[in-house]
Amino acid sequence: PVLPEGWSGEKDFKPVGQLSQATDRNIEPVGPHFLAHARRQRHKRTFSEDDRI
Amino acid sequence: MSAENSPAERVAIGISFGNSYSSIAFTTGDGKAEVIANEDGDRQIPSILSYVEGEELHGGQAKSQLVRNAQNTVAYYRDFLGQEFKSIDPSPCHQSAHPVQHESTIAFKIRDTTEEKENAVTVSIITTRHLRRLRNSASDYLGKSVNAAVITVPTNFADAQKDALNKAAKEAGIEVLQFINEPVAAVLAYDAQPEAKLADKIVVVADLGGTRSDVAVVASRGGIYTILATIHDYEVSGFQLDQVLIDYFAKEFIKKHKSGGDPRENDRSLAKLKLECEAVKKALSIGSTANFSVESLANGIDFTSPINRTRFELLGNKIFAAFARLVAHAVEKANLDPLDISEIILAGGNSHTPKTAAAIKSVFPTTTTVLAPSTSPAAINPSELSVRGAAIQASLIQEFDVEDIEQSTHPMVTVTPHLSRAVGVLCISPDAATGKFHAIVDAETPLPVRRTAIIATPREGGDVLVKIAEAARHIKVTKPQPKSKPAKDDDDSEDDSDDESEEEEDEELREQTWQVGAVLSEAALRGLKKGAKVEVQINIAADLSVNAIYREVGGKGGVRGILQGGGAKAQNGSA
Repeated sequence: PVLPEGWSGEKDFKPVGQLSQATDRNIEPVGPHFLAHARRQRHKRTFSEDDRI
Repeated sequence: MSAENSPAERVAIGISFGNSYSSIAFTTGDGKAEVIANEDGDRQIPSILSYVEGEELHGGQAKSQLVRNAQNTVAYYRDFLGQEFKSIDPSPCHQSAHPVQHESTIAFKIRDTTEEKENAVTVSIITTRHLRRLRNSASDYLGKSVNAAVITVPTNFADAQKDALNKAAKEAGIEVLQFINEPVAAVLAYDAQPEAKLADKIVVVADLGGTRSDVAVVASRGGIYTILATIHDYEVSGFQLDQVLIDYFAKEFIKKHKSGGDPRENDRSLAKLKLECEAVKKALSIGSTANFSVESLANGIDFTSPINRTRFELLGNKIFAAFARLVAHAVEKANLDPLDISEIILAGGNSHTPKTAAAIKSVFPTTTTVLAPSTSPAAINPSELSVRGAAIQASLIQEFDVEDIEQSTHPMVTVTPHLSRAVGVLCISPDAATGKFHAIVDAETPLPVRRTAIIATPREGGDVLVKIAEAARHIKVTKPQPKSKPAKDDDDSEDDSDDESEEEEDEELREQTWQVGAVLSEAALRGLKKGAKVEVQINIAADLSVNAIYREVGGKGGVRGILQGGGAKAQNGSA
C-alpha cells in the first residue's frame, strides 16, 4: 500500500504487535533439511552463519 | 562381527519391515534409491517363514507353504514384537501358526528342526531369522556384507517395540542406525527425487496395507516434516478387499458345483482361495480382467472363473468408501480442511488398486494431487515408498557416529516451536478488513525459519508502506443463491461454477481465505521506481522474535527491523 501522509517511524520501521504463542511439536528427524537444522542447533548457529561456512 | 561398526566400514541399507511384506533398498553412488530383489526375484518379500523337515523357507516360498504346511508357517508377526500376549490381536494368524504366550513374550509352536517335536520359537527369534534372510539377500546383491540399516516403523510403534526390534536386528548382525516413521519415509522418497521442488505443503500419507491401514497428516515446511495427526485402523485393510473376492468366488463355486461344498469351510481350501484372491486383486490393478484359477479347490474339483475390474469395484465399494473416509477423518483430526491438503501420497500395496485412488480423490478438491500409479504419472510404486525413504536416510547418516545420531534425534526434536498462524504481508490496502494477505511463512512451520518473498508494489512507485501481519486460515462457505426448483432451466445459473449442484441442490462453495489477525510491524520504503518489486525477508527465531529486511529488488539499502519475542520493543537499523 501507499505510504500514508505523515507516517513516521524510527529509521522507517515501526513495530506494532508481536507473534501469538507458538505450539511445541515434534519434528521428524529425517531428511537432509532436518540434518542441516540439527547441525545448526548443535552449534548454535543462525542461518546466515551457516551459509557462510 | 562387532555389534557397532565404525562409520567407515558401514554398509547401510533401508529396510521396510511390514506385517505382510518387507523390502530392502540401497542408495546408489549418485543418490538414487534402488529396491533390491531377493533370490526369488521379489521386491516385495512376504514377511513369512516356514519350516519343512528342518529346512527354512522364506518369503514367497514360505507363503506357498500356507496351504500344505500352515501349522509350521509363521506370518503376520511384526506387530507382536515387544508386546504382551494379552494386548495382541492374533486374528491375522488364524491360517498359520498361532501365537501363544511364552514367559513374558509371545512365541509360535512350530517344528523348525528335523526332529519330530515342536519348539516354542519367540517372535523376536522369528524376526531375527527374517531380518537375517533380508540382510543376506542385500549382501549377495551388493557383494558387500551389509551391517547397518534404517528401519521403518509405524508411527504408533511404542518404545518397547522398537527396543525389541533393535535387539532382534542386532542378533541378525544389523546395527539399526535409526528408526524412522513409515509416512515420513514415504514423503522423503518423493522429496528426494531430483526433479522434486521443495515447497511448504501439507501432505497426507495413506498407507493401505494388508492387516492395517495408517493415515498420517504431515506438514512439510522447507523439507522439514512435522506429523500433525495420525490414524491407525486394523479393520479397514487390504484383507477386506481379499475377503470380498474370497466370498465372491466361493459363492460362484458353490453355484457351479453343488457337491463341492463351501471352500471357505475347509482350511486348506480357504488358504488356496486366499492366496489366489490376493493374486487376482493384484492382477486387477494392472489389467481390466483377471482369471481366478485353483486346482483342486475343494473336494478335488478344479475351479476357474474370470472377473473384470468393474465387478470387483462394485463388490468392494464399501471398502473403497471406507478408505476414503479414513483419509478424510485424519484430515479432520488435524483440524484441517480438505482444501488445506496439497498432496495425498498413497503408500502400501492396496494403493495400486485404481479404485482406491479414485475414491480418495473424490473426497478432496481438484487442487489436491493424489500420488498413486493410476492418478499421477509422477507416482512412485506405492509398495516401495517407505523402503526408498529408509535407504535415502541410511545413506545420509551412515557416516555419522552413533552418538551423533542419538544426539541429533532426541532432545532438539521435541523442543521445536511451530508457528500457530501464518505470517505474511498485507497487500493493496493498509486496512486489515480490505487488505489482501500474502503468506510468507505458513502456520505449523517449525522455528527458527527464514523465508524470502518478492511482492509487487503499487504501479506508480513512490513511497510504500509494508505491513507484516499474522493471519489464520479460514474456510469461507458460500451457499449458492437460494433458487426455486425450476431455476435449473435458468441459463445463467447453469453456467455457475458449481455445476455439480444438479444432484445436490445446496452444494456449498468452499474456499480458502485468510482472516488477518494482529499487525506485527510497519515499514516504509521511500522513492521506489515505477513498477518496482520489494523483497521481504523474514527471519523468525525460536524465541518468536521477528527480524525483517525490506529491500527494493535491484536497489540498494533497505529497511531492517527487529521485533522482540518477549515485548514489543524494537531495535532498528539500516540494512
